[in-house]
Amino acid sequence: MTRYAMAVDLNRCQGCRACVEACKIENNTPNAVFWMHVFRLEEGEFPNTKMTFLPRPCQHCNNAPCVKVCPVGARYKREDGLVLTDFDRCIGCRYCEVACPYGVNFFNWRNPEEAWGEYQIPFDDPDLASVTGGAVPPYKNPDHDVRHGPEQRLTSGSAHFKGVMEKCTFCVHRVEQGMLPACVDTCPVQALRFGDVEDEDSPISRFLRDKESFQLLEELGTDPSVVYVGGNPPSSHAREIERPLTGV
Amino acid sequence: MTRRGIVTGGLIVTGLALMVLAYFAGAAPWCNTAVECSNPRLEWSPAIFVVGVIVAFSSALYYSMSKSDKK
Amino acid sequence: MTVAHSRVNEPLPQGVGRLSRRWFLVVGLATAGTAIGVVGWLVEHEQGMVATGMRDVGTMGGATWGLYISMVVYFVGVSFAGITVAALIRLFNLEHLKGVARMAELLTVVALLLGALAIVVDLGQPLRGLVNLFRYARPQSPFFGTFSLVVSGYLFSSLVYLYLTSRPDAARLAAKPSKLQPLYRVWAAGYEDTPDQRARDRRVTFWLALAILPLLIVAHSSLGFVFGLQVGRPGWFGTLQAPAFVVLAGVSGIGHLIVLAALVRRVLHEEHRIGMEVFTWLGRFLMLLLFVYLYFVVVEIFTAIYQPTVNEQRIGDALLTGEYAPVFWGSVAALALPAVGLAWMAVTRRWRIGWMVAFGALVNLGAIGKRFLIVAPSQTHGQLLPYPVGTYTPSLVEYAVVLGLFSLGALLIAGFMKLFPIVEMEEAAP
Repeated sequence: MTRYAMAVDLNRCQGCRACVEACKIENNTPNAVFWMHVFRLEEGEFPNTKMTFLPRPCQHCNNAPCVKVCPVGARYKREDGLVLTDFDRCIGCRYCEVACPYGVNFFNWRNPEEAWGEYQIPFDDPDLASVTGGAVPPYKNPDHDVRHGPEQRLTSGSAHFKGVMEKCTFCVHRVEQGMLPACVDTCPVQALRFGDVEDEDSPISRFLRDKESFQLLEELGTDPSVVYVGGNPPSSHAREIERPLTGV
Repeated sequence: MTRRGIVTGGLIVTGLALMVLAYFAGAAPWCNTAVECSNPRLEWSPAIFVVGVIVAFSSALYYSMSKSDKK
Repeated sequence: MTVAHSRVNEPLPQGVGRLSRRWFLVVGLATAGTAIGVVGWLVEHEQGMVATGMRDVGTMGGATWGLYISMVVYFVGVSFAGITVAALIRLFNLEHLKGVARMAELLTVVALLLGALAIVVDLGQPLRGLVNLFRYARPQSPFFGTFSLVVSGYLFSSLVYLYLTSRPDAARLAAKPSKLQPLYRVWAAGYEDTPDQRARDRRVTFWLALAILPLLIVAHSSLGFVFGLQVGRPGWFGTLQAPAFVVLAGVSGIGHLIVLAALVRRVLHEEHRIGMEVFTWLGRFLMLLLFVYLYFVVVEIFTAIYQPTVNEQRIGDALLTGEYAPVFWGSVAALALPAVGLAWMAVTRRWRIGWMVAFGALVNLGAIGKRFLIVAPSQTHGQLLPYPVGTYTPSLVEYAVVLGLFSLGALLIAGFMKLFPIVEMEEAAP
């Protein structure tokens, strides 16, 4: 058996948001959609302030509220722990989004072909075309059109259909090929780790061994697969000092 | 027991049976978040549930609208 | 009362089949409103849900459920009226209320249809919804109750009830020569006014009423559970949701019924059959429900301000003094004033239909407000992670669609009134 989990080392995270960028590129997520988001939090009053960073992918809960409430079983939890969305089945009621305490769900508000917004670069310019080889974004990863896992459902990548819910997939298309999720692979300081926690000798199990850890909103009983070490849960007085793009 | 009574009762029982069947043939109500709970064990079982509801209440239509047995 | 019965070529009762200028005006307005709603929905369908004011909860700082879900809950609530009143009439032999029974049942059917449509306009993939719900719907999801009990069970049983109680009238109308005679022949489906048939109808409506009443409690509770079971949304999670949903459903439903009854009484000159005793009974019932609901509101506020958790407090502040305060206090006033007014009328025993209509309309505004306040604040202000506080303002498209839903409802009721007597006809002497 395999059970995937992610460990986030808050001592190492420096808030560079390379993981956010990697996720957007890997999964072709539309404007203002952040499957991976890094909170930059500030606590206290000047001059006694403290700044912390908190990466927030989907928590892939073991007792996932979104899976429970889905009226059609489009949101489901795989045997290996990934919580995924069947884009072919989702009816767009957005119940998973209101049920999720972590705010990780993103809806396809627009038609996919319009979803990426305006690119301010003249891609048809001959000089530019000679560099890009004629490719015009958005580049779509062909792996996202492949059905994954034993259930053979369409679950990876973003902006497949208008009016369908999407969220972090732990990069199921990469995990299936034995690779790490894009955010984990990109992190320059190895603050993110990913692997099989049921295997006692896997790097993530060895990393987590004997370390104090916490899960986000443990008290809700959702039992997330994302484990944080080397820090504290965000206090209720923490303020987000920067707000990411919000306009779809 | 008149024929009307039998058919009406039969419709109610059939409707309820369909509902129970469909409910338990659905995506296992007792099952939490395991992967098999995302699919009904019998596809279209929710439709059967709705049909059950309709059959059960149709008994009222039958009871009221069927022609009398006795002349 | 048998005078009218034997004559031929007499116009159908209650203005059925005759189209007046006033009717065309109402229907014209309702059609225009419906058209606006359809255009709104087409825009939404074309552009995607980006045309609405809803946005993602979390980094996007929005509410992903908004006016539409509020209207789903509201319309299903309105449907409470019909079947409750009809059932109470049968169960407790309230013969003097028979004048409003049919319009109440009609109100239930129309409100349920509108509720179902409001779900459809809220779906990102409405066509998939229509197929996949029948194919994959899961009993674990609180939506299963909404879908299986409310929309199918409740709607179908109400239709059966409306149809069975209308057959005798259809048979009476089928006996008269008119343009609509073929319709009534089909409608009556061989109804014969025999003592046996009457006894059977009495029995069947009694048992139907008995079966529908628990269904009603379960159905409205299941809508409450859609919200009340969500541990991750402060402001939603709670035991009070389900009972409060049932009671507020009654408030909006009875309020609607009072308005409709007064309208029909005025337009069709049915002062005789929709008498004051109907209004006093409905008024007392509404008053009772209002006081129970206001008690729930007080309990809710008290729990929210006494020793709230940080997250509950953020929502409580937003409701009581913050962004949502105007809607909150406006809704509370729209529910409290009618309660006091009805109590005054009950104490002094001077019932005024004009005031009651105003109260009926007012409690419905209050109910819509309260439904909105259940849906939106817990999303914009109820984040458990340190996301910034969000906002939600419905867009023009959403308002257009809601206008369309109300107009469609008016259109259906106005259309029904020209096809069939909306007040049960007086029984011919046996």
